[in-house]
Order: sequence, then C-alpha cells, then structure tokens
Amino acid sequence: MISENTNLSIAEEFAAKMKKDNQKQKIISAAPFVILLFLVAVMGITVKGFFTFDNFTSILNQLASPLALSLGLTFVIIMGSIDLSVEGVVGFVGSIVTLMVLNTKTDSDLGLAGMAVAVLAGMAIGFITGVIHVKSMLPSFMVTFAVSKIMSGFAVLSYKGEPAMVKEPLFQQIAQGSFIGIPVLTWIAFIIFAIAFFLERYTAFGRYVFAIGDNESIVRNTGINIDKIKILVFTWSGFCMGIAGVMGAIRIGRGEVLIGNGTLFPSITAIVVGGTSLAGGKGGVVNTLVGVLIVTVIQNGLILLGVNPYIQLAIQGIIIILAVSLSVTRGKKVITK
Amino acid sequence: MQNRTLFKAENISKEYPGTVALRGINMEINAGEVVGLIGENGAGKSTLLKIIMGIEQPTTGRMELHGKEYAPQNPIHANSLGVGMVFQEQSLIQNLTVGQNIFFGQEKKYRKFGVVNWKRMYEDTKQALAAIGISNVRPDRKVSQLDFATRQMVEIAKVFNIVSNASVEGSIILLDEPTSVLNDEEVKQLYKQIDKMRKAGNAVVFVSHRLDEVMEISDRIYIFKDGSNVGIMKKEEANEMLLYEKMVGRTATGEYYKVDRQTTPDKEVVMEVKNLGLTGYFMNVSFKLHKGEVIGICGVVGSGKEHLCAVICGDEAHTAGEMIIKGKRKVFSDPCDSRKSGILSIPKERREEGIIGSLSIHENICLSSYPSVKKKGFISKKLQYQKALEWIDRLGIKCSGIKERTEFLSGGNAQKVVFARVLSSGADILVLNHPTRGVDIGAKEDIYGIIRDMTAAGKSVILLGDTLDECIGLSNRILVMKDGKVTKEYDASPSNKPEQVDIVRYMM
Repeated sequence: MISENTNLSIAEEFAAKMKKDNQKQKIISAAPFVILLFLVAVMGITVKGFFTFDNFTSILNQLASPLALSLGLTFVIIMGSIDLSVEGVVGFVGSIVTLMVLNTKTDSDLGLAGMAVAVLAGMAIGFITGVIHVKSMLPSFMVTFAVSKIMSGFAVLSYKGEPAMVKEPLFQQIAQGSFIGIPVLTWIAFIIFAIAFFLERYTAFGRYVFAIGDNESIVRNTGINIDKIKILVFTWSGFCMGIAGVMGAIRIGRGEVLIGNGTLFPSITAIVVGGTSLAGGKGGVVNTLVGVLIVTVIQNGLILLGVNPYIQLAIQGIIIILAVSLSVTRGKKVITK
Repeated sequence: MQNRTLFKAENISKEYPGTVALRGINMEINAGEVVGLIGENGAGKSTLLKIIMGIEQPTTGRMELHGKEYAPQNPIHANSLGVGMVFQEQSLIQNLTVGQNIFFGQEKKYRKFGVVNWKRMYEDTKQALAAIGISNVRPDRKVSQLDFATRQMVEIAKVFNIVSNASVEGSIILLDEPTSVLNDEEVKQLYKQIDKMRKAGNAVVFVSHRLDEVMEISDRIYIFKDGSNVGIMKKEEANEMLLYEKMVGRTATGEYYKVDRQTTPDKEVVMEVKNLGLTGYFMNVSFKLHKGEVIGICGVVGSGKEHLCAVICGDEAHTAGEMIIKGKRKVFSDPCDSRKSGILSIPKERREEGIIGSLSIHENICLSSYPSVKKKGFISKKLQYQKALEWIDRLGIKCSGIKERTEFLSGGNAQKVVFARVLSSGADILVLNHPTRGVDIGAKEDIYGIIRDMTAAGKSVILLGDTLDECIGLSNRILVMKDGKVTKEYDASPSNKPEQVDIVRYMM
C-alpha cells in the first residue's frame, strides 16, 4: 500500500528526535553538581557535626590524594582506556620516596629533590606502561593490571619487607601545614587540578584525547600520531600517581606498599559519579572534581554517622553501579582500548 | 573561467575476487566545472571515488592531476594534493566544536607556549565557513548539538578548507550523496556553496541518486552502469528519460531469475503491517505478505528500506503502527523475539553477521537449529555432520570438507552456508537482505533456484534485492520506497513484470 502523504517528512522527524536527545544530554550533564549540592544540604541537616570548620578541614584533607589520582585517570578514561596500575605505582612511589629523604633505613637525605625524583619515577612508569600498551597492542586493562602487580613487587623489594620511617622534617611540616585554612596537601591537589584544566581546555592535546575517545578511526584518518597521544596520557597518569604516592608517604610518615591499597576504587567511583563516561569521549576534569567532592562528602558523612567501615565499602560499590548504569548508553562498548 | 583540465582518469579498472567493480573508466574533470555522476547501486560510483581519494588502488589504469601523474596512497596524501571528499557517513568528531573540527590536526598554527588560541581559530573558522557561503553557524558550538544539515555544511567547509590550502591551481571536491539529509531549502544553500567553490576555479564531483538535482547543478553528467561508463551527457542534452534509460539499460533475461518457476502465492496472510513507522527513518508502511510470496522492496540508500528490514527482523522496535505475524500483534526488540515468530534473516554483512568465520561449515549450518542435532541433551557430532552433508549436496556448496572454516569459503559458498542454516531453522518468513551481494554469477543462479524452492515449499520472503533487476525478476510484488515512504506498489507476476525505468522514477 502506498504511504499517506503527511506533512512531516522523515528528515524532520529525525531532526526533532535529535533535538530531544540533545536536551536530555544537557540535563544529564548538570546532574552531578545538583547531586553534590543536595548531598551537602542533606548531610548538613541530618548529620551532627557536618557543618563545622573542623569537619570541612577534614574533608579537604581527605580529598587531596583521591583528587590528584583521579585527575590522572580522567584523561585515560576519556580516551577510552583504563589505568589499573594505580595501587602498585602509588605504593612503589610511596616506598621509594621514603628511602631517598632522611629516614631510618638509608643514608640519603635528598629532601625536596628526593620527592621530585619519586614523582618522576611515577611518570617514567606511566611512560613505559603507555609504550607497552601501544606497541604490543594489548588492551589497557591488561597492561596496567600487570604493571600494578609488578610495581607492588618492586615496592616491597625496595624496602626488603621492613618499611623505612621518615625523619625528614619537611614531611611533617607539609602534613600538618595549611594556608588560608586549606591544608598544604590539598593545595597541591588544586595545583594539579589547574594543570589538568589547562591541558583539557587550552591545548590541542586535550582535544585529541577527547577525539580519540569519541571516534578513534576518524582521528587516525587525519594523520595524527595517536600512539604519541596515548603514551602522553599514560605518562600524565603516572605523574599523578607519583604525586599521590608522595602524598601518601607524607601522611603516614613511612614508606610501604600499602600506601596504594584501596586507592583505585574511590578514584574510579569519583570519576564515574562526576559524569565522565567509561566509554570515553565525554566528561572532564571539572566533572572529576565534583565527583571527588561527592564521594568524599559521602564517606565523611558515613564516618560521622559511625557506619561500619566494611559497609562503607559496599556502599561505594552500589554507588558506582548506579552511576555507571545511569551514564552508559545502551549497547555502547565500554573500555575497549 | 578557465577550462583547463584538472584531473584525468585513463582506463581505470578495479577488480575484487569474484567481481569486477570498474571496467576501463575514462574521465576528465575541468576547472570551474561541476561533474555529476549517476548510476544504480553497485554501478561503481563509490569505487571510483575511493580510488580518486586513495582509499583503494586501481587494478589497472592511471590518473593525472594538474598534468602530473596522480597515484594517492591514502586520503591524507590526496588531501595534500588538493583532492578532498565529503563522505556519506559523517566524519566529524561529535564532542568537539565546529572550529576544532575544521582545524583538527592544524592546531599548531594557533599555538603559543603550548596554549591554543581558540579565539583566533574561531575567527579563522568564520572565514572558512564564509568561503562556502555559510554565515549563521557559531564556530564554538559542539557538533553534537547541530542538526544534520548544518553538520553537512561544516563537513564541506572542513574539506574545502583542507584542499584549498593545499594547492593553488584548483582543487577537486567529491561530494557523495550530499543531499540525502537535506530538505529543499538546505539543498538550495548547498548549491550556493558549490557555486562559490566552482567560481573560484575548483571542480566539484556530485554523486547523487536524485536525478533532478544532478541535472540542475552539473555541467556534465557521467552515467555508470555495471562498472562501465555508459554515457557522458552535457547539461543541455540531459533529461530524466534519457538518464534513466542509460542508467538502467536492457533488462536481463527472465531465464536468469527463473521467472518460470515463480509460484503464485497462497491466499493465507502470514504477515501484515499497518502504518508501520520508525521515528526518523520510515513511516506509514503497510502491506500484507502471503504464504509462498516474495515481496521485493526497492529504494536507494536512505529510502528507509534497510530500517524497515531491521524492524521486521527484530533488530529494532517500531515506534508507530502495527506488525501482525500470523494473526498476533507483535513488537520485536530483539531478533530472538522475531525468531520465535518464525522470522529469520539473511543479513547484508555476510562476514560479520551471516557466518561465524572461525567455526566450521557444519557448525555454522546447525547454529540456528540445535534442537534437531541433540541426542540425550548433548550435541551429536554425527547428526551435525549428516545435516551438513545433506545441505552441501543440496545447495552445491564447494568446499574441502564439512570441517572447513567458513571464513575460507568464497562469497558465494559462504552465502550458501547461510542459506542452509536459515532453511534448516524451520523459520517460514525469511528476510533476504542483498542475498547475492559479492556472489559470483554461477552461485547467484543457484541461489535464485534456492529461493524458488523456498517459496514452492510454502515459505514467504521479503527481499531487498542487490540490483533492481534482481528485485523485479524474483518478486511477486514490488514496493518502491523513497524518503521513508512507500511511493508505489507494483504487481510483478511472471507475465506482468514492470520495467526498471518505471520503478527508478519512483525511487528517486
């Protein structure tokens, strides 16, 4: 039967459908921020001791390390890959930094230089991870998972099972210092955020990361060196892990592989909750900042309420499933690279 | 306006294993010219464009650009020499802005101490857009927020920007079906853009199924059929009738499609669709499919026939209208559902969707009918082998043995394996999506025989033919689709087959 002639053509129908999809997208991208405000309000009302200066300082302290880490991972995830080497690399960097500054095990006293070397080590590991991933064409989850285990092993080897205790006074000063009410470690995280923001918005590199995450084959056809970008992204991720590793050592005053434990999950949760898609191509560092705030506020609230720490872990798990299921487009592949 | 020759193709041929896509094509493109290129699906238009862009290499023949030997190794190489193409599938990066897309890969020009000056890039973007006459698109908008027509324009601006920066003598821009997503207003805009490009001494190749548009905008029109150039018409000489005739040529003989074996369908209706629609792709499609009948659906890319096929197969759920299978109203969201109603399809992409290449012939054949090869709850290899041997014999599948992996079979034989699988599944409504695509002529005839056997055995078929000829030859009835709607229905009984020329008119 011949179709009736209606006024609407399929082209117009298609355009209308696209408009609706775009509007939906706008709402979804504003959601994390709204959720954060809502959370803060609810916590303020229901949880005793939330809206105090001390507690806010505590929250700021809490978010320093996860923020630094997540900013590194954000770029990897936007590109469509994943970096599971967090725990091993952070543990390794945390271990070696304590062996380079004034400590109870070795004779070195490299101070700030030692800290810089440790961060550079993190960068170098990220670089090598990137090179292996690109040259071997193994999926990122496989390479980074292996790197994590390898670096954990090296971490323990570095202090031969007996962690070094830090005597370097700078460590204590940083751990306890603050500037205009904000802890020094948090300032460091904010500086990393500024750098990440700059990379994302004001460099071609930032655009390429998004482009590769969105549609790698189109980017390949324009002749851009995708391998180089991927290596750079993993190097940046390694740099952030280096920072987090040194932060961890500063916090506990000694160097051991456990510094890295339990750091991967909150970072990924924060990134996903903030609205960055695990499929790649969408999101950003501002999203990650909001995500880290959400995760930290929830954690803080649960602690104030006295919730069992194991249940806290379970709650984090539930949050990540909820966040991912709300953001993943049906049928689209996730972390395929 | 100079009339110098920008591009020459001499005796270009392209062969693929089993088929010849292009035969001895000669072509000339001059500065300031718009060259139209028309032909049916499979006539070789896309292949020629791919060769000009360096995506494929010709089997024989040579090309000249600006008087010098031209043999592009890849699209980037072609771009650098001043040849660019706007593809049918969008090549913009959705989450970047208009400006970032147009200058993608060229950020160096705007970089100072590592910082990219987006503002200056957006200024240049405005110029790049103005170069083809666009003034109302904001350079800082994300592509994902633009409608298709605007995206198309940005793509053209991007390609034009790349090629015009490459060469001073005049560039060549290939447009592949540029108007399929545009409405009348937007098409007029496109003409203006093309005009601007040609007035600046460049040349445009306009490939389209819309003959009226091709006639309006082109200076000369090349007509392709079955891989050959069957005519070059100047704008003044061209009219629709002439173009259709050349495009479509002589109808193949009825013997080839075994028209004598065409069965008369039963009165029983196995499937009925009423005002079926899928938002944005097709609407108001209604027809009844009878037992033992073949309904052929004809239409160009973008006519909606592929999506109609997807809805019937269960790949997508329809958004409007009704689908009634054997008296029951159904909505499918998964091919599993449609399978339960007795519908199975032979997909277009054989290697990805039809066979599992790493599995053997016998495993593939039994994929859709496992219950029939089970013994005491386990799969019986013996029963599998038996079934496979039967089908190899019945369909004439050429192979080195039933254990041969299907990925090593030729197109025609792989397709026969798909037919075997589908036929032994017990499904009685079969959707054939380009069933003879990439199949050699001998296997094609065999497949036509198989289709006749199927209908004689009471199965019903929805056919998306590889060529118009095939559709006419095999079908009992033909539905012609254009822009998402059914524009004409033809009876195609053996004594009353419609002419290709007539159908083409309703397709374009």
